[in-house]
Amino acid sequence: MAGFVIGRGSRKRTRIAIEYGRCGDGIGVDPRECGLCLRACDPAVFLLHETLGAREEDPLDPQAWRITALWPSLCTRCGRCVAVCPEGAITVWP
Amino acid sequence: MCDYCMKHGAGGKWYLNASHYADEIAEKYNLRDFLLEQYKNFEQISVRKVGGFNAVGLGYTLRIPIIGRIVKRIAERMLHSRRPPTNPFRAEGHIGQVVPLEDAEEILRTCAAEPIIEKNCMCRYMSRGVKEACCINFGVMSEIIDKLPRFIPEKEKYHLSREEAIERFREHNRKGYIGTIWFGPFPYINNLCSCESPECAGLRPRLDFGVMSIYKAEYLIDLEVSACRGCGDCVSRCPFGALRMDRSLGRPVVDQNRCYGCGVCRHVCPTGALFLVPRDHFPALAGSY
Repeated sequence: MAGFVIGRGSRKRTRIAIEYGRCGDGIGVDPRECGLCLRACDPAVFLLHETLGAREEDPLDPQAWRITALWPSLCTRCGRCVAVCPEGAITVWP
Repeated sequence: MCDYCMKHGAGGKWYLNASHYADEIAEKYNLRDFLLEQYKNFEQISVRKVGGFNAVGLGYTLRIPIIGRIVKRIAERMLHSRRPPTNPFRAEGHIGQVVPLEDAEEILRTCAAEPIIEKNCMCRYMSRGVKEACCINFGVMSEIIDKLPRFIPEKEKYHLSREEAIERFREHNRKGYIGTIWFGPFPYINNLCSCESPECAGLRPRLDFGVMSIYKAEYLIDLEVSACRGCGDCVSRCPFGALRMDRSLGRPVVDQNRCYGCGVCRHVCPTGALFLVPRDHFPALAGSY
């Protein structure tokens, strides 16, 4: 029953993936400097945060940052984040 | 007057009770370490899993029958917690209320503990990557921000006197930012924010998901019909959609059920026709925060 209920909800879910090899984590583009998707998104779906579990030299001034699509339920799938990303790192599935 | 004021307001509003701002509370709950740990990892809090759950895709979780209601209940219990805080990775006892300009001035003038600083808003930074100095912090919180370079404004002077803090807050309020005062964590008050939707992490749960993360103000907006010229400038100023231009009347009408009582619409009114009244004056809305 629970599986049926959860499954029904999940069919309509928007999935947003970010390729961390190209953006964030201190490897690719620094999202703190780019941040184009953050500002392109009208409902502010994305979150800029320190990478969980990254080894930081100075924990008070972390250097490894990444972006997560925190509120996908508010996404309208307008595609602006995909268009604006210079690395082509964002994928949105309906 | 809400439950909070009855219990913690000492006969007035909870946020005008100076004992909530005292350093002794911070010492009692060892908040120096707690807040440093919390703000060191502030942006991570919503993606970090606590008890197997994080806030990613919260909107979908809340939509699931039964489970959604349980999750909402758990989230609200955490936000409204009145026990001594234990886990800095959860927003325990982090509850706020909208305050209009007058009350915020009163807070800064009489209650706020020194030192007073203005830091970069962490909500705007984590959701837009923008550094904008507009959060006013007091007491222990100010000392913590001093250690975290990303929250320290680069251009402006950020250690403020009471008068400077009032002046800065007034500037933000005129711009249309909503004044909010926060327990962080209960019972210590250390944040006077100038928020904006949808960036604000405190307004978002309530506005988008119906989770009680912030209370409406002790006031409601009302319109002096005889003074209104019907220009309608206030309508676009309201972030909650409580003002609507009524063409047949030739003046805006107020939807007091939607009004949060922030009072920012008053700043654009050329005739001063908008004014705040205590919530109690509308019997039907008296208890609905």
